[in-house]
Amino acid sequence: MRTLVRGVLTGAGYLRQSWSFVLLASALVGAPSPVTAEDLRYELPAAGSYALPVIDRVSDYEMLGADNRRGPLLDLAAGQCAVVSFVYLSCTDARGCPLALATLRRLDRLLADRDDLADRVRLVTVSFDPERDRPPQLASLRRHMDPRADWRFVTAASPTELRPVLRDYGQDAVPLLTSNGAFLGRMRHVAKVFLIDSEGAVRNIYSSGLMDHRLLLRDLETLLLTDAATPRP
Amino acid sequence: MDHSRRVWIGLLVGLLGLAGPSAADETCQSPYIPKLTGQEDFIYIWTVGIEGLGDGSDKVVTVGVNPERSDFGKVVSSVSVGGRHEAHHGGLSDDRRHFWVGGLDDSRIYIMDLATDPARPRLVRTIEDFTEKSGGVVGPHGFYALPGRMLISALSNAADGGGRTAMVEYNNDGEYIRTIWMPEGAPYGYDARIKAELNRMLTSSFTGRNNYMRKLSELLGDAEAMKNFGNTMVVWDYHARKPLQILEVPGAPLEIRWALRPEHEYAFTSTALTSKLWGIFRKDDGTFEAVELADIGDPSKVPLPVDISLSADDRFLFVNSFLDGMVRVFDVVNPRAPKVVYERKIGPQVNMVSQSWDGKRLYFTSSLLANWDGTGGDDAQFLKAYTWDGKTLEPLFELDFRSEKLGRPHMMRFGQIDFYRGRVSEGGAGG
Repeated sequence: MRTLVRGVLTGAGYLRQSWSFVLLASALVGAPSPVTAEDLRYELPAAGSYALPVIDRVSDYEMLGADNRRGPLLDLAAGQCAVVSFVYLSCTDARGCPLALATLRRLDRLLADRDDLADRVRLVTVSFDPERDRPPQLASLRRHMDPRADWRFVTAASPTELRPVLRDYGQDAVPLLTSNGAFLGRMRHVAKVFLIDSEGAVRNIYSSGLMDHRLLLRDLETLLLTDAATPRP
Repeated sequence: MDHSRRVWIGLLVGLLGLAGPSAADETCQSPYIPKLTGQEDFIYIWTVGIEGLGDGSDKVVTVGVNPERSDFGKVVSSVSVGGRHEAHHGGLSDDRRHFWVGGLDDSRIYIMDLATDPARPRLVRTIEDFTEKSGGVVGPHGFYALPGRMLISALSNAADGGGRTAMVEYNNDGEYIRTIWMPEGAPYGYDARIKAELNRMLTSSFTGRNNYMRKLSELLGDAEAMKNFGNTMVVWDYHARKPLQILEVPGAPLEIRWALRPEHEYAFTSTALTSKLWGIFRKDDGTFEAVELADIGDPSKVPLPVDISLSADDRFLFVNSFLDGMVRVFDVVNPRAPKVVYERKIGPQVNMVSQSWDGKRLYFTSSLLANWDGTGGDDAQFLKAYTWDGKTLEPLFELDFRSEKLGRPHMMRFGQIDFYRGRVSEGGAGG
């Protein structure tokens, strides 16, 4: 693994030869992730010891899935909630989309082991790069992520259909251009993950620094297990 | 690069937790705001209106600060909010699209759109029911971006105008979310700053409306009123918004600056009334201790320390003091033993200081509070820009806000045209 890390940091050629084999092999044999998350530098607050007030409300939107079918983004029943992450697959900001994907992957594993939560939480990764991240690419992403719980991968059918979704969630995504106006292939965005309840209420928003699977799980426990008013599906 | 490869590289980077650039802003802002790493084009200055000067209203003044633009050193635009409200602090939303500014007198909040035309901010929303919505909070002071929200630390309350106060959260649309009152034993408020890696928030304490709307010279002579200043800081579990510790920091600790490097687990503050620099350090057991570090000038002369600014490399701490108009630069490489390495008189009075991300440019404004300005005799009102080479400040330009008929310049925030247009050049805004 140390060799691989060195390859990532210093040698793109090495990376191209090595990354897929090591990680794909790891995934195929069902091995645990070769790298574990950093230790938290704080104690998690106890589930139910704090409030998750309604920050905002979002609508549901018809999106295009990795299976090339259209369907609602959230599609939540009473007593369920969703963790929604906006990403694009070309992102190279380590504290941006890769971190969001890694966080949801870890959360997916935690949820898969929780009978009391697994059927009440939906993870949704939304690409805000609908022109490049098409259903085949989302399907590829899904295969690589190898979901164990309920994790969906969607995008909009077009930039026009994406616009109201981003506006509703308050997710910025500005294409980066050279001084000549040429697209650099990257976007400026604030990496955000949203916790949405079955009423479409935004109950928390996570960004770098506090984008952690253990913290997300604690919020899910707070929202779904300690709130007596929350009905089970 | 094909998509499969892009996916895997992204995943790998995420799993390995490779450290990217800090998500902090121009050194002193919320960690949730994207930073401007290159040359700023504009400074937006929340300015207190002066009766009989220009339109007499509080306003956001936009000043050109890019030497390569024709508007360098000039007023580009100003947008008045109508009337005087004790304009004070403000902050950018988490996407930098909006600049929230507040009035300490009548608790009005104004939201300016910066993104549509960065040279000409425009007022898009006014919040007039802050006190009513928040359950009696008065004096919206600090505006600190959280993901999708604005955390507003206040100074006072409607019941008695004293220092008991709260933090109030709004979403980015300007809708009220909740109020978090300061804890018993530490009721005062002023600044609120987050160290996300530690899930810790620090708050500091000033005084209530009864005091901050009085003339300073009168207030200093009122022994009873002078008892009504905060002497505490509070350590919070940020995620839970729960107070964990109350720290004794006598003499009104004001601005808080967490060290910016992720591994640095400390913060600085200065005390207005006792003229001390303090450090707040995380201990091995995860709790925090407040340590008095140094005098700021001669405390017996009450220089009244105000704004502070920490460089992005956690090396230099710029400390302004209002009544003597000085900036003192502390070397804080050893945060428990800061040393003054430079000092300079900026003007008859000085309050705010803001520095560029690369630490090469610093900007100073003069106004503290309408009734406190000019206490030393000269009520000069200015923006002054300097370069900093690690050793000395050299003047770049200055703008007289009186002769420009603008008012009393206070809070500064930076703007850059390319940031909103998505254009990237070497050393420009990062993505």
